[in-house]
Amino acid sequence: MEARKSRKWRWGVNRWFVLLFIVLGIIGANLYPPVQPHIQVAAEALTERPLFSSPVLGDVYLTNTMLAMVVVDVILLLVVLAVQKAVRTGSLVPQGISGAVEALFEVLYNLTESSAGAKWAKTIFPYFSIIMLTVLVANLTKLMPGYETIGLLHLSEHGYPVKELFPGIFTLVKGEAQHGEGYNLIGFLRGLSTDLNFTVALALFSVFMTQLIGVRAQGVRYFTKFINVTTLFSKPGFGAIDLAVGLLELISEFAKILSFSFRLFGNMFAGLVLLVLVGSLIPVFFQSTVLLFEFFIGLIQAFVFGMLTMVFMAQATQGHGGNEHH
Amino acid sequence: MTGDIVLAAKFVGAGLAMIGALGAGIGIGLSVQGALQGMARNPDTYGTLLTNMILGIAFSEAIAIYCLVIAFLMLFVL
Repeated sequence: MEARKSRKWRWGVNRWFVLLFIVLGIIGANLYPPVQPHIQVAAEALTERPLFSSPVLGDVYLTNTMLAMVVVDVILLLVVLAVQKAVRTGSLVPQGISGAVEALFEVLYNLTESSAGAKWAKTIFPYFSIIMLTVLVANLTKLMPGYETIGLLHLSEHGYPVKELFPGIFTLVKGEAQHGEGYNLIGFLRGLSTDLNFTVALALFSVFMTQLIGVRAQGVRYFTKFINVTTLFSKPGFGAIDLAVGLLELISEFAKILSFSFRLFGNMFAGLVLLVLVGSLIPVFFQSTVLLFEFFIGLIQAFVFGMLTMVFMAQATQGHGGNEHH
Repeated sequence: MTGDIVLAAKFVGAGLAMIGALGAGIGIGLSVQGALQGMARNPDTYGTLLTNMILGIAFSEAIAIYCLVIAFLMLFVL
């Protein structure tokens, strides 16, 4: 307290940067007013021709979320290499990025241990941490400048007229285009979590590994959770109820896939729509507050995805109404 | 004419779909209320209560997100 009292609060140099950016934003928004972009749920294809065609999958295009996936993978690999390099040096005191990663993993491991128990924490922790890190990096890279704003122009019905900034570089300007001459933008990169394929894949992975861990922990007895015939013959009345409850458990297992994937996709896609709509309505400064909100949502959703995976896996290791665990 | 009616129906449908957010709002309010009362009575449990509260909020929020996804589907896909 004394130290804070003795030092007078000063704004420092940062306020001038903020003021500079606000002024630049006002100038930019007046020179080139932002247009309301075309919003599409499915990821946009970057190329005219499909990458490959197969009878099962149909035409597979190179989409902008695939490029975003490459960015996410590269960032994760760089973190891995940095931590590996720090471990190789042999110093026990981690510094820089490896220190941050160690602090994060320690918190996550303690969380896993407190809800899954020391015995299964080692098995569950890798799934928890890798899902959380992937979703976290995917959600945070979505907020980087350049996502959805730099890309290829293509002809479209509800397009906007274009204007040449530099030779070969165009920008969309506000106004009505002549029929058949309007252009729309397809960004090179688009947030990875705004693609339903990514979230469904993660959800399938998470739910499938939950079943696998359940079988590892309990053997064949794990499946009596779903098709419960253990009490059907000894107590027919309650046995029938147990059987019906088991079927409900089976349905809820599929509902988990739906809720996992749509929770992440819905949150992130809502963020994208909010960001572009606010950007086209109030182009100055207000978007920054929305970005802050999106940052927070991204953190929470990554944590929730990982945490729920961990909790479901911990539940799968414990028998239902277990005799030896209580 | 029919195109206009279809467009209007899209917007009305998207608005109606978002009624479901009502339940999620009530649910989130109830869970935060319970967690805050627990924290006020027993401040030591702040950490665990906060984690569980955020998890519960995410569960109830998912309901609102389903409505939002349906509304987006009506607006941008159909």
